[in-house]
Amino acid sequence: MPIGDLQIPIIGKNVVIAVLVQTHILFATFIIGAVLVAATSEYLGMVTKQPNYERFARSLARFVVLLFASGAALAITFVLALVTLFPVFFSYLQNIFFWVFLVEAFMFLGQIIIVYAWYNVWDKLAYRKSLHVVFGFVAGFFGLMAMTMIDAVASFMLTPPEVDLASSEAVARSFLNQTMVPLNMHRFVGNFSYVGFLVAGWAGLRYLRATREDDREYYDWMGHWGLIWGFGFLIIQPVIGYGYLKGIRETSPAAFNTIMLGDKAWVFNFLALWLTIMTLASTAYFVHKLRFAVKPVEFLRKLSVGALGFMALFTVLNVIPANTSFIPQIGLVFLEGENTQIPLGSMYPWKYIGLIGMMLVGFFVITLYLRATATGFHWGRASRWSQLALIVCAVTVVLTMVTMGYTRETARRVDNNPAYLIYNCITLEQEITPSTCPVEGLEGSSE
Amino acid sequence: MTEVVALLLQEGSTGDPTAIGIFRFFAAFFIIMTLYIGAFAFTYWISKDE
Repeated sequence: MPIGDLQIPIIGKNVVIAVLVQTHILFATFIIGAVLVAATSEYLGMVTKQPNYERFARSLARFVVLLFASGAALAITFVLALVTLFPVFFSYLQNIFFWVFLVEAFMFLGQIIIVYAWYNVWDKLAYRKSLHVVFGFVAGFFGLMAMTMIDAVASFMLTPPEVDLASSEAVARSFLNQTMVPLNMHRFVGNFSYVGFLVAGWAGLRYLRATREDDREYYDWMGHWGLIWGFGFLIIQPVIGYGYLKGIRETSPAAFNTIMLGDKAWVFNFLALWLTIMTLASTAYFVHKLRFAVKPVEFLRKLSVGALGFMALFTVLNVIPANTSFIPQIGLVFLEGENTQIPLGSMYPWKYIGLIGMMLVGFFVITLYLRATATGFHWGRASRWSQLALIVCAVTVVLTMVTMGYTRETARRVDNNPAYLIYNCITLEQEITPSTCPVEGLEGSSE
Repeated sequence: MTEVVALLLQEGSTGDPTAIGIFRFFAAFFIIMTLYIGAFAFTYWISKDE
């Protein structure tokens, strides 16, 4: 059977895959997170009888239904591109993960069916709300399962385990490779945070353009609700991310060194910058919002102002690069590059202090905010800049997603000698490297 | 000329050591953002009057 070697002019075939996957992930993450956030909001609307939750849940569900096709079309196009442009690699991947891909496809199908049914019977099940909420959560569950399946494949590509594919434990060891669980946790939490910030940003935009008082009140509330999800889940991410990186370091140390200490370490400097922007903008929003609590909370507000100061201190620690070799790929190297260490820029202890401090202050400030939320806010009075802060968070969370996606994939390149599709096993040129590959039997049976 | 400068600046780096690599990096970013923002904006525009 002839196997073609297609090349894409100008942008190259790697960019084609990157574009399709990264864009798909931006949609898929939105859809998985939005379904769960909408179902939770619908449930809260049912319990609290507050109409904002119901309006929000229904609008978000409708948007998911409309957007689903875009995400799905990109997924199909991606698989087509992968089969066409990397046929040998995809063939090996299928040998290991056929059942995982098959389960994922059916989870995807289940998600589509339930999401459409969920939105379609919204009025019909108005008097059986509990059942309707269950529809939403089941759709979210299917989405999470589909994500879990593809996470097994993605994590395997970076941290393939020591396993004989002919053995009885092959499926379990391949599926539950070293970074599968932390990656899945990272993405599970990330779904909520990403959707939360996007919702908040959208609400901020609509608030600034709203001309009716009831719309201003609603979008003000929506920005607050989105930010609780966005920021609340964001501050859990560093500790899960640490677990993920620990897994990479133990299994694929050269890949870890590339993205954390080597020439691609700038990706984490960017991540720290995005984190700084999002946490400071969110904390400033909370400080501002506490002025509009129905029951005055001046003491809590003063504490939150202090928290903003500490947040600035800790996040700045994270942003300081370790040395003056900033982005060597485009020549941003100053003084003696890697040999010129910057004070307070080392990982230990400064970035650990920065990350732990950021999380602790984050928990503190969101606890204060939720405490004030219990008594309610006067909606529709938020300032212009607070809404701009929400919009900035939304833009930044997209940049965070793109940066992290690039980081995971570029980690396998190491020094490009060779670059890998499956780390230490299959090169970018789709050649197997059995001498370094921990997976036995990847090339298939000799019979 | 630009290609030569880019190559010199990246000497010994582990990144993609060609100007085309840098171009492709930003081309990918641009296409991703265009598709993403375009699809979101279109979905909003097509449904905003409902």
